[in-house]
Amino acid sequence: MIFVTVGNHFQGFERLLKKVDEISPRIPNEILVQKGYSKYVPQNTKYFDFVPLSMAMEYLQKSDLVISHAGIGTIILCKEYGIPLLLFPRRKKYREHGTDHQVEIAQVLEKRGDKNIYIVYEEDQLEEKIMEAVGRKEIVETGNRGRENLIRTIKEFIETF
Amino acid sequence: MEGEKKIGLICSAGGHFTEMLQLREAFKGHRIFVITYREKATLNQENTYYLETWRSPTGFIVGLMKIFIIFLKEKPDILFSTGSEIAVPPFYLGKFLFRTKLIYLECSAQVYRPSLTGRCVYPITDLFLVQWEFLLKKYGPKAKYVGGLI
Repeated sequence: MIFVTVGNHFQGFERLLKKVDEISPRIPNEILVQKGYSKYVPQNTKYFDFVPLSMAMEYLQKSDLVISHAGIGTIILCKEYGIPLLLFPRRKKYREHGTDHQVEIAQVLEKRGDKNIYIVYEEDQLEEKIMEAVGRKEIVETGNRGRENLIRTIKEFIETF
Repeated sequence: MEGEKKIGLICSAGGHFTEMLQLREAFKGHRIFVITYREKATLNQENTYYLETWRSPTGFIVGLMKIFIIFLKEKPDILFSTGSEIAVPPFYLGKFLFRTKLIYLECSAQVYRPSLTGRCVYPITDLFLVQWEFLLKKYGPKAKYVGGLI
């Protein structure tokens, strides 16, 4: 299954939803869409607006690929479960977010070269990237050193007083 | 000081909430409660107080009173937040009326630029963590980088 998610942000993400809907008949995998506050109603795939986080995590764990805005929650969870993730950042100029910080996130991850993350900045590249991503099985890196360090630092702080 | 402490975890829905859940292990052995916005994505969580999203000044004042009542009841020793703006009122209330210690983790979405929330709480926060090294210079000497979640 391919799980498409646009998160909890109050602005819609019509560009991604329209494109996924348009190309979905040509994609071999079943597609499930979380459309959030977007107005566009998918015609060719199953969809919902919001579910509790635990349920979203279930969908995510069943997925062969997750397609998402460059939202932190999805990036973290895909990293944790080792699920390939295709990022398509929201843009300020299309009123998809207040700033272009998602482009910055995508660029910084691209530079770092995470093996499990695919990045697309324009809609017309989506189909090709999706086919590339579902056709590849990457070896997943496990563990999250950053998370361990953060937990240790916070724990130590709590113990100091 | 050794022993069990009361810790309030405060964050909005979405990535902020996921970041908070990722770090829950840091609070093991302590009693915790959560304050977040009432959204579908945050429902069904344990020990959680829900605030309505602040859409008006009246809503904001109601939220502030609600936080005050929660703090009277819970008597937190420490507050921890992963953002966003929901953190600002409880941090100031906690610091000046309840003498809580404050821990703030800047969201990993902030790669090069400080968030408005981060700038609001930086002066009063006791442990201020960022998830990208670029931000250390932007904030100042109190900011710490030990790694990021993404």
